[in-house]
Amino acid sequence: MSRSDVRLQRAWALLLSGAALYLPANVMPVMTMTLPGHHDALTVWGGVIEFYEVGLWPGSVVIFLASMVVPLFKLLSVGWLLWMDGSPHYRVQRTKLFRVVETIGTWSMVDIFLLSVLVAVGQLGAFASVQAEPGALFFAAVMVCTIAASLNYDIRRIWREEAS
Amino acid sequence: MSNPATHGWRTCPDCEASYRPRPLAPGHQLRCKRCGARLGQGRKSDSLQTPLAMAVTGGTLLVLANIFPVMTFDVAGRNQSNLIITGIQGLVEQGYGPLAVLVFFCAIGAPAIYLGLLCYTLSAAMMRLRLPGLMRAWRWVELAEPWSLIPVFAVACLVAVVRLDLLGTVTWGNGSVFVVLLSLCCLILGRMLDRERIEVLREELP
Repeated sequence: MSRSDVRLQRAWALLLSGAALYLPANVMPVMTMTLPGHHDALTVWGGVIEFYEVGLWPGSVVIFLASMVVPLFKLLSVGWLLWMDGSPHYRVQRTKLFRVVETIGTWSMVDIFLLSVLVAVGQLGAFASVQAEPGALFFAAVMVCTIAASLNYDIRRIWREEAS
Repeated sequence: MSNPATHGWRTCPDCEASYRPRPLAPGHQLRCKRCGARLGQGRKSDSLQTPLAMAVTGGTLLVLANIFPVMTFDVAGRNQSNLIITGIQGLVEQGYGPLAVLVFFCAIGAPAIYLGLLCYTLSAAMMRLRLPGLMRAWRWVELAEPWSLIPVFAVACLVAVVRLDLLGTVTWGNGSVFVVLLSLCCLILGRMLDRERIEVLREELP
């Protein structure tokens, strides 16, 4: 097996792990915010809703796109690219799609960074606290898996003529 | 300057089609005819001085962004200044070590490797110095680049401030200016170092 084939298999493994982790990442809470008279365990979707409800819809759009749309889009696109590997069809489109995935892929890290900034601030004792929750681990794992999966796919494979 | 073995021909890094680089007028681009990859860009000067200056600036900004607080949060008379590292410490304290490692790597580690080694390799290429480990350093630059997520971090800070503003008073610190400048620096560097330049650089590394 060539090096490129090993990397293809690794990409498959990472993609499938990412897909398996996507559900717990979205069902489990990623953080708990405690405020006087307020105790909220928020899932990723809960964060989107919370932003929207307090009237900060640009924030909710950013979180929704970065944390829900981008990972799903990445899983589906990389899945399609890996599935089509070795096929002579749609070469130009696949190349373009791969570039799009590479460009937008890392934006899904916004939620993890957001959590880290909030956790820092939430150490003011009784007044306000922000606590990370296990869902964040799953969420981070999905990010790492999807980013690493696309890094492991060699774009040149799209154009190689090989009897498949 | 071109590799004599290939008679001036290169292969597209994305689809391996052959092409011959040609001088481009400033503002013009060379794209791969088969797959559309951006292969080169005409610019006013071909010297490595501008990217090197950018990398040095970026390195300095990275240090500054980590020394000065990004924001200060006030609630009920108590306040807390936030460095980038504060959040990472917070995650460790709450028992989320892996998340802390990830945030540290993407917000501090990878940018430091990327910018630091870029300064090293670019200055060596420019001054034609045979410094040790140049090829390895360049390999690390390419590995660290996709994980260096400063612009994403900047957006996250923005969202966090908007969120926290509901809970108390948030004041931007000096660090935030450096974070914004640093993300611009990283974005510009990414555009400057296009494929053709990287190929040329690789050949020029002593």
